Amino acid sequence: MTLGTRAVTHGYDDGAVFEDVSLTAGSGEVVAIIGPSGVGKTTLLRLLALFEPPTEGEVTVDGTDAWTLGEDDRLALRRRIGVVFQEASLFDGSVARNVEYGLRVRRSWRERVRDELRTLANRSALPDAVTDALDVVGMADDVHKHADDLSGGEAQRVAFARALAYDPDYLLLDEPTSDLDPRNTAVIEDAVTAAADRGIGVVVATHDMHQAQRVADRVAVLLDDSVIEMGPADRVFEAPHDERAKKFIEGELVY
Amino acid sequence: MKGVGSHAVLVVLADALGALPLRPLLTVFPDVAGPLFVDFPFETQYVTSIVYVSLYVSVLAVTISTLVSIPIALVVGFSDFPGKRLVTAVINTGMGFPSVVVGLLVLFAVSNQGPLGELNLVFTKEAMIMSQFVLATPPITGISLAAVTSVRADVRDAAFALGGTRTDVALTVVKEARYGIATAVLAGFGRAISEVGSVLIVGGNIAGAGGVSKTRTLTTAIQLEARQGRYGTAMVLGALLVALVLVVNAVVVRLGDGGTLR
Repeated sequence: MTLGTRAVTHGYDDGAVFEDVSLTAGSGEVVAIIGPSGVGKTTLLRLLALFEPPTEGEVTVDGTDAWTLGEDDRLALRRRIGVVFQEASLFDGSVARNVEYGLRVRRSWRERVRDELRTLANRSALPDAVTDALDVVGMADDVHKHADDLSGGEAQRVAFARALAYDPDYLLLDEPTSDLDPRNTAVIEDAVTAAADRGIGVVVATHDMHQAQRVADRVAVLLDDSVIEMGPADRVFEAPHDERAKKFIEGELVY
Repeated sequence: MKGVGSHAVLVVLADALGALPLRPLLTVFPDVAGPLFVDFPFETQYVTSIVYVSLYVSVLAVTISTLVSIPIALVVGFSDFPGKRLVTAVINTGMGFPSVVVGLLVLFAVSNQGPLGELNLVFTKEAMIMSQFVLATPPITGISLAAVTSVRADVRDAAFALGGTRTDVALTVVKEARYGIATAVLAGFGRAISEVGSVLIVGGNIAGAGGVSKTRTLTTAIQLEARQGRYGTAMVLGALLVALVLVVNAVVVRLGDGGTLR
């Protein structure tokens, strides 16, 4: 099973963001996309998350071009992908309501109405998937807290659990620890490793090269509108083929 | 039972009014009978039927308006289509549209020569609901539009990314904007229940034999009672109108708060 792009070019009215980008993430693999801010890492993740079709090329899930499918089939593919944004983007509600969201939208309307009524009557039990996902990020004890009462790091950990709760095949992380302290960063990185160990394919966009070194199996360097280097993390960081990638990794290339 | 309950409410309200320092008013209105002002029980039936008509017309009109307004707000807020700016301009203009003109237009529409003439709606509650719907829809849509567009884009993205359909994302936006939408509903209800001009034109302010209201609302009754010098009844009706608005306000705010459960 793989999630990836094939010769993708994408841009907006004011020009191309990147051109001819091909990358894949397989089951249990962590792929890091590194590059300076504004290079298009978030846009690439949005394409992988099937938010919008690429200008050219294909976004593939298990080899199938997702944008050749109808909306219902594409929804089924989307539901196999979890996304964590740079901001936690939690809904106004409790931790439980947030983490349960992905499970809720996958239920039939009849079940959802029944669950809402049970919630109003305080007679609903929390699904195990919710507590399991919160357990991965060490937030199981905060299940009834309101989202507004969480610190930034806690909110991001809940956002991670929210994407993990419905057991996706792939996980896309956009700068997931850029605003976090070292402790919360370590929790998220451990959760990434745990997700990969469970067979989830992970793509993480980050400008933190140390983080990429710590968590990634493979690394793609997105620079100058394209992926200029891609390979095993050790090889890319120790002996990059591309001179620009080498300078970027060594911090000599300033954008 | 219903009549007994209503009577009890009115007596409590009248007693509360009696407790207020209103004695100086007695010198102004020497013909009123003591602090209760209102001559029960005849007035009870009269007042109860007026309250019923006011609530029936306003609640139904605002409910229909809300069901129409929220989808319009979502479509205008999150879709691009030809004429979007025109729709927005119509919504904004509608918020300040003179109510008597709305009443006049609805009267033309339901009159014998109008497009809805065959339905025989002149001087009926249904015609009043129509005019209140026209009046309440622009403020509910306009304020709901501001509320839904203020929901952060990253929250909408999160709903989509977690596997939500377009309907799920729309419901999430409505839930996130529930306080703003509750304000919109209250604004619409306030405009509907406090409306005089249009309901007077299309409803006719009719009370039948025995003092039972057919199309008389609290506002049109206050206007009539005050004009005829029955200030006591007018004051009770006014107090009831204020009390109703306060109760509905509290209920809507509480409902808006319901989303925070668990």
